[in-house]
Amino acid sequence: MTLDQKRWVIVALAAVFLLSLVFVQWMEIVRRAEEAGISEARHPVPSSSQDCVSCHTQVSTGIIQHWETSRHAEAGVGCVECHRAEQTDADAHTHYGNVIATIVTPKDCGECHVTEAAEFEGSHHAAGGNILASLDNFLAETVEGFRGSFNPHSPTPGRGEMAVNGMASAASGCQQCHGSKIALESTDGGLITVDDLQPDADGRPTNLEAVGRILRGPEGRPVLASSTWPNTGIGRLNLDGSRGSCSACHSRHDFSPRRARQPENCGKCHLGPDHPQKEIFEESKHGVAYRDLRDELELDGDTWVLGVDYAQAPTCATCHMSGHSRNGGKITHDPGERISWTNRPPVSLVMDTDIEGHIVTETDLATRQELIADSAQNKRNRMRAVCQHCHTPNYVDAFYEQYDDLVILYNEKFAKPGQKIIAALREQQLLTPTEFDEEIEFTWFYLWHHEGRRARHGASMMAPDYTHWHGMFEVAERFYMELIPQARHLAEGAGARGAEVERVIDEILARPEHAWFEEGAEAQAEAIREAMRERYGDRS
Amino acid sequence: MNAFSAVGSWITERLPVSAADLRELTNEPVPNHLKRWWFALGGTPAYLFVVQIVTGILLAVYYQPSPTTAYESVEYITTQLPYGWYLRSVHKWAATLMIAAVILHQMRVYFTGAYRKPREINWIVGMLMLICTLTLGFTGYSLVYEQLSYWGATVGANIAGQVPLVGGLMRDMLLGGDGYNPRTLPRFFILHAAVLPVVLILLIVLHIAIIRLQGVTKFEFEDERAEPGESPPSRRTFDFFPDHMLTELAIGLVLMVMLSFLATLWPATMGPRADPLVTPDVIKPEWFFYVSFRWLKLFSGLTAVLSMGFVVFVMFAWPFIDEQIRRRTRFTEASVWIGICGVFAIIALTVWEAVVAH
Repeated sequence: MTLDQKRWVIVALAAVFLLSLVFVQWMEIVRRAEEAGISEARHPVPSSSQDCVSCHTQVSTGIIQHWETSRHAEAGVGCVECHRAEQTDADAHTHYGNVIATIVTPKDCGECHVTEAAEFEGSHHAAGGNILASLDNFLAETVEGFRGSFNPHSPTPGRGEMAVNGMASAASGCQQCHGSKIALESTDGGLITVDDLQPDADGRPTNLEAVGRILRGPEGRPVLASSTWPNTGIGRLNLDGSRGSCSACHSRHDFSPRRARQPENCGKCHLGPDHPQKEIFEESKHGVAYRDLRDELELDGDTWVLGVDYAQAPTCATCHMSGHSRNGGKITHDPGERISWTNRPPVSLVMDTDIEGHIVTETDLATRQELIADSAQNKRNRMRAVCQHCHTPNYVDAFYEQYDDLVILYNEKFAKPGQKIIAALREQQLLTPTEFDEEIEFTWFYLWHHEGRRARHGASMMAPDYTHWHGMFEVAERFYMELIPQARHLAEGAGARGAEVERVIDEILARPEHAWFEEGAEAQAEAIREAMRERYGDRS
Repeated sequence: MNAFSAVGSWITERLPVSAADLRELTNEPVPNHLKRWWFALGGTPAYLFVVQIVTGILLAVYYQPSPTTAYESVEYITTQLPYGWYLRSVHKWAATLMIAAVILHQMRVYFTGAYRKPREINWIVGMLMLICTLTLGFTGYSLVYEQLSYWGATVGANIAGQVPLVGGLMRDMLLGGDGYNPRTLPRFFILHAAVLPVVLILLIVLHIAIIRLQGVTKFEFEDERAEPGESPPSRRTFDFFPDHMLTELAIGLVLMVMLSFLATLWPATMGPRADPLVTPDVIKPEWFFYVSFRWLKLFSGLTAVLSMGFVVFVMFAWPFIDEQIRRRTRFTEASVWIGICGVFAIIALTVWEAVVAH
């Protein structure tokens, strides 16, 4: 090599070196921007998902951007790791060389998150899909809608469809929280669900005849029935036999722990007239503290242990699910583990549960004790351990007495009597077997399902206005002003059958707690007026 | 007299070295075979050593050698200090390349027989430099105070403790006590940042001085046979300035480019913080110790240490052993075959250690 050639080689090498320093400078700028929070930290894309990311960056940018900020991206978990499927899965298809499925089920998440998936599977959340065969769903599917489709009775300008989907309210309403029964479209025009596929323990379908009927679109992709998907209901009935949807709380594709820790996340479903837990929380001192101090709660922390990482205010997750300093930071994905009453049914039940997690309703004390696998007291003790991070044991015990008293008052004064009156009407055949076709059925439903729950939930989470005005006040008004008169009205002129109902009502109203209603309570009212005069003077 | 020559005279009066002398001193004719780049590998570790000194001084400004602060200070350098990640990554990669370059240089010297009479002493100096470099590597990764640092140092000290008679003393000297303690880390730091670099600089000076005194070994290649009428190629030379200097500069630039890209593409990371209460399931030293680590696992304590000591002794004494073999047997090329076996053994043990979990 001549000297001149050497010089040129050196010039070229020097240029490359300078270029590398420019690259270093660029990396430093990116790092500083990330540190200053101006840009999100970027993580290398796992090689398995390079193709997915490069294509979906173009066609669905948001998915990729969400994923890039996720813990999954940080840990090298890409698209394929979660969407991977076996060729034999009912919803599997080959997508640019990878066998994948659109829906990621708890069975898939459980491949890595074993404990979380197992806890969730045993929770009431996972059983949310049971509503699909319940009274509530009768409302959506029959009262509000129609079990099937029907023809419109006049045209809608601009819309060409001829059939009305009678299940629309159920699909867009109930099922979005409770979960749908995921269905694939069949070549014969029907739907194929988990019931047809009969999956084995690994989630693989055993009924190959049903698999053969699956309607397939481009790429051989099985067609998901739009009446059942998209859906992230918490008790979704999946094709692989698993129940639930992890993304109900851990929204895809960033799976943000921060979001799952906030009450707004639960508030997608736990709100409204029938179970306004989120509004109740907001009214409570807990919610007030949360609103004020949320910036100090370390919501972004890698760990989020009450008493270790934060203690300023609780969220739903804090009390019902999160780890705390007294339980070694152990999180549970079964929110029922710390709940001692179920206020879901008309009459609240003590949460003594059997080995399968079902509530023990046995009344014989000895048999009951044998059946109980996890007592309500155990559950309460778990919650008390959370409470005691901020409250003394005496304070917590006294709170639970107040809460128990309210639930029992509601149960004994209104719920059980109401249930007894409705039962008497049915027994005497003064109601049709069909639900919700008579006014009193709506009245009773409002009483326990809406107002009764509001009162009980209000007491459970320290929201006085929900306990009283939105709760017990409306329960009482509904009971005395609607349920009793409507029941008496149905009994009138019904002869002996009506007399039996009247007897039940009279027996209830003769009880000391109801006596004021028919006997009057003038002496009591006068005593109150006198006390008012003493305190505030005569302002009339 | 203009100002330049006035300054020149002022300096020459006080430093009586003429420019002509300097030129002659530095511009020694370089043997022709050094045009082949692999003969220029000896300068590579020296070059990388300079990189280590520069980056090492900058890192030492921020490093705090105590068990309570070491990990946090390295974390600060890596995640917060402007360009800290780059400095640390260059320092780490330069260490790796330096060790690789030393090994390659030593292999070249070995297989070309450049250690033979009269260069035995320089071979021994080279061996000392190898040990010095490896010790720098060992003390270097011990400073981070991650799990590997702590348990690597503990294992290293235990191995030293196996040496008969002086083992206990060696271990105590290394750790500053009979176990890892708060005084251990400053000791490693002083070794890594002061004692060993100074020793290495002195050895380098000695190494180069001996080369200059003896002249570089001259080689003659088949394609360089003298044509009739030409001077023998072994006497052919070229200028250090600018010819060889440009080669060295090119090699230096290639190294800088390599370092820069390695540091940006695979920056130095951090393992979990050292926890004396949690012994990791798998303890592995840095790659350059894989060979000795695997060797130690193959034999029980004392046998392993003694056999390793014997191997190191043989390496030191090789020029004399080789001389005896050549003189007393007819296997004049025995060293080549022994060398090939040695290299294969090193590669095999290293790969073995790399692929197995324990």
